[in-house]
Amino acid sequence: MLQNEQEYIRILTDRLSGMLPKEDLEDILSDYREHFRIGKAEGRAEDELFRSLGSPDDVAKEIRATHLVKKAEETRSCRNIVHAVVATLGLGLFNLVFVLVPFIILIVLLLVVFLVGIAFSVFGPVAFVFAFLQMLGFSSFAIWLSPAAGIFISIGLTAVGLLLVIGDLYLARFFYHQGIRYLKWNIHLITGAVCER
Amino acid sequence: MTPDQPEEEKKYCLHGILTLSGINPTRVILWLVAIAIVSFAIGFGILAVSGVFSPGTSHPNSPFIQTAWVTPNTIDIPLDGAVSGNISVIMGAGKVALDSGTPENMLMEATVFSKAPEWQPTLSSALEDTTKTVTLTDKGHTGKAWFAVHSPNSWDIRVTDRVPVVLNVKVGAGDCKMNAGSINLTYLTVHSGAGDTEIDLGRYHGGRFDAAITSGIGDLTLKVPRSGNTRITVHQGVGETSGFGFTLNNGAYVTPGFDPALPVNEIAVKQGVGSFILEMV
Repeated sequence: MLQNEQEYIRILTDRLSGMLPKEDLEDILSDYREHFRIGKAEGRAEDELFRSLGSPDDVAKEIRATHLVKKAEETRSCRNIVHAVVATLGLGLFNLVFVLVPFIILIVLLLVVFLVGIAFSVFGPVAFVFAFLQMLGFSSFAIWLSPAAGIFISIGLTAVGLLLVIGDLYLARFFYHQGIRYLKWNIHLITGAVCER
Repeated sequence: MTPDQPEEEKKYCLHGILTLSGINPTRVILWLVAIAIVSFAIGFGILAVSGVFSPGTSHPNSPFIQTAWVTPNTIDIPLDGAVSGNISVIMGAGKVALDSGTPENMLMEATVFSKAPEWQPTLSSALEDTTKTVTLTDKGHTGKAWFAVHSPNSWDIRVTDRVPVVLNVKVGAGDCKMNAGSINLTYLTVHSGAGDTEIDLGRYHGGRFDAAITSGIGDLTLKVPRSGNTRITVHQGVGETSGFGFTLNNGAYVTPGFDPALPVNEIAVKQGVGSFILEMV
């Protein structure tokens, strides 16, 4: 049970220390101090203010998730998006279904497309060499029904492989952008907080 | 000109190289799409033209050979009362091994190893008067060399030694190993496009015969019996000829004790690129 405003601020500080830059943390804490000051000036009891704000643990989770999503938006990286997703998961158990599952599906999809692209990009040139050797009469390298067709099809396979790899990069960027939007919407839905769009 | 200007020019030049001016991701993608479409169209077009994708083939949707070495298929050609044989073996790409010895009343036996059922060779045989004519043809050999469907087969062929035989062996690309053994040859033709060829006539005890051997690219080894009255004329392209033990007679290699007055086994050899080894056994 919280005793007073100082304890509330102390818990909040404790949960967010090392998570946010000092200036940002100070800004947030001063906002909450201001909230308490205005509330008290209006004659509201501390208990009532605690209830209206929510527990400092929940508030810290929400701030942390919002901060990490914003950070992932500003600096695009795998690490940042993973941190943002993990922080969002902490906001509610049901996010295991609504955030974690789609996130894993997208990761697997991107990975599969990337691996298929790499496989085609590697197999294409190898198959080209096999077709060439088959054309020269080395029967041990015979994998194509027709080596001349194999030459062209292997070139096509290489091109498709490179397209898949390049396409995967664009797809990853698209999903990253949409993922950030989804996480923001998710945080907004759960906390009711006003998020930047 | 200020001292900074050359530096600026260098920077622009370096920038141009690094960004490969004129090449942007969209252009690269469009090129890759175009290359993929054109390549697939040509590749599958070749397959369609060569008949691989026609209905009835065992793998109509794949450009790859799908089956591994299938169970060897043995082909038996009976003599049907013939007193002579005319055998042609024509292979596009693969290996041919030829030996003597068949069961009684058999002119020829062939064990065909093929990577796909449709690459089984075409066989035709006919009995005309007292001569049985047999032609074993690789399907790939019937089309244009590189655009046709190749059948990288391996054939083990055995020929009878009971009747005289005219033997014609053609291998487009691949190795050919022939052990005439006790085959009763009337005439022998061996033509090899690319690949090593070995013809062993060392155990030959049949009647007089003539032979024409042509090798395009690859080494050629010819083993001739010491006891035979044999003359070998050689037209060598690029490569060396070794004929240890033979005597040169009017530009031809002859066996010891060669007598032109007696029946002569005439062997004409044309070698393109590769060494020619003539051995006496």
